[in-house]
Amino acid sequence: MTTTPAPVTSAGPPRGRRAADVLSRELPLAVISVDEGVGELTILVHVEHLIGALTLLRDHADALYRLPVFVTAVDWPDREPAAPRFDVVYQLRSIEHNDQCRLIVQVSEDAPRLPSAERVFAGMDWHERETFDLFGIEFTDHHDLHRILLPEDWVGHPLRKDYVSFGEPVAFTHNLEWALPAAERPRDMPGESR
Amino acid sequence: MAVLPPMRGAGTPTRDEESEAFDRGRSVLGVDPDNDAIDLVQLDDQTMELNMGPQHPSTHGVLRLVLELDGEVVRECRPDIGFLHTGFEKSFESHTWQQCIPFTDRMDYLAPLFNNLGFSLAAERLLGIEVPLRAQYLRVIMCELTRVASHFLWYGTSALDLGATTPFVYAWREREKILDINELISGVRMHTSFIRVGGLLADVPDEFYALVNEVVKTFPSFIDQYELLITKNPIWMDRTRGLGVLSPDDAMAYGATGPTLRGSGIPYDLRKAQPYSSYDHFDFDIPIGSHGDVYDRYLVRMREARESIKIIGQAMASLPGGAVNTSDRKVALPPRNEINTSMESLIHHFKLVTEGFHVPHGQVYQAIESPRGELGFYIVSTGGNRPYRCKVRGPSFSNLSALPHMVRNELIADVVAVIGSIDIVLGDVDR
Repeated sequence: MTTTPAPVTSAGPPRGRRAADVLSRELPLAVISVDEGVGELTILVHVEHLIGALTLLRDHADALYRLPVFVTAVDWPDREPAAPRFDVVYQLRSIEHNDQCRLIVQVSEDAPRLPSAERVFAGMDWHERETFDLFGIEFTDHHDLHRILLPEDWVGHPLRKDYVSFGEPVAFTHNLEWALPAAERPRDMPGESR
Repeated sequence: MAVLPPMRGAGTPTRDEESEAFDRGRSVLGVDPDNDAIDLVQLDDQTMELNMGPQHPSTHGVLRLVLELDGEVVRECRPDIGFLHTGFEKSFESHTWQQCIPFTDRMDYLAPLFNNLGFSLAAERLLGIEVPLRAQYLRVIMCELTRVASHFLWYGTSALDLGATTPFVYAWREREKILDINELISGVRMHTSFIRVGGLLADVPDEFYALVNEVVKTFPSFIDQYELLITKNPIWMDRTRGLGVLSPDDAMAYGATGPTLRGSGIPYDLRKAQPYSSYDHFDFDIPIGSHGDVYDRYLVRMREARESIKIIGQAMASLPGGAVNTSDRKVALPPRNEINTSMESLIHHFKLVTEGFHVPHGQVYQAIESPRGELGFYIVSTGGNRPYRCKVRGPSFSNLSALPHMVRNELIADVVAVIGSIDIVLGDVDR
């Protein structure tokens, strides 16, 4: 027997509708597009209006998204050349209105920087450092931007798609060099990405 | 994270002169490169700097704090994290959806089932499937048992931090019973991977019911015993009341969630606010504190453990029958007898084992209430058999970022009490 109870996310408008309404009413210039999927809205905003949008969502009586959930990024290296490479994702929660919303700003590979939101939300300080650490995206005017999870001398930003994570490959006849001790392997040997 | 060796006598010439990173790590932390952080560093006439951790027993794992002291008073605290960073989020991107489940176990290692659940729910929402009611109830039962185990462990260790050794022994005794249940249902005591995308590992064995009913019957009296030990204990109250106060506004601004947020008087619990996995079928209360201090967070956790046992009792009483996995054969393995008789099932079995299922294009953020707060999985899928990107929002990470604010101008001896009160798990912070 399989029962199908009501889906968990069925009732009510999609999460983030409140934020989209407030933004399109009070700061229409900031919004590029609003996408809906699996009961959630994703609001794409212009980077120059990011801080204004976050402040508005924090303070406006209809929004009150006062709890910063996380900041992270998504790397899209294969997007068509005109589109910026990184999506920087801001997730906020409103306890008063029991809602959550997601803002996305896009930054390019050549200038991966955007203003810091730590003055809007104290809790974004560490999340921005993590995004800097793992993606190499700079948050200008952050008071203390340096690596947080990885050692200071780490080279590269591991969550970028072109940072290949290596497994321990098995040596077959076509890649016998993997059977050599690590020190004797050729340095430019193509890595076997898993 | 700075590159600093753990323990070294002053003046010992062991520093690698080649390593620029060594000095860079120090300069980031504001430590004079010629001094060792383990020593007290005189900054000026008033303050000096003290290194605490990462091997300090009261840091609950490998947390390092650099404390700026004025006498015994903490003027500034700089946490240094990342010692347990494992790059799980990178690993997710190269493993099939079902293979990601064991990674999630190992993040918040004191509440592994919550990590399983958060990931599974996020993937299930993208897939558009709903698991059978029996699986939802069993998920609730196992998660609430885990919450009780986690709160008991917290009770024991944080009381131990303040010098009370007895609670530790008692709490460990009861936690074992919950680990026994884990072992019974999955064969593993900690990293069970019991909750999978599409349902559960398997249905529970017959012995399960008696063990869980025993927990429901006996645990409230154990919590009474625990509370008898320290709730009205004058030493415990003196050490914890009015300490590490976090105002409701600050708690929100730092992104604090869970008992840390509710201790500050905000009744926000995702099980009530945005119910998932049938939590709306159960009747329970959300305990809150009134002062936002260490003592309130203690009270909130003890009451939460009682509420969890209430939920387990209700779920056991109304546990429905039926399957524990979705009937969608594109996601969950077909049962053995079906494979024997149906060619299509055999194909599904083969495809699921070799390449896994594909998840439709989209992005989702699924948050659940773990013992430490809002545990969220933000997943981006491009339609493949692996997640394109999976961000884990560990509650301890945000809660810990409020620590400097909480310990400023407190005594150094109270820092351990405050660290204990936010119940960090470093596996959850560093991921």
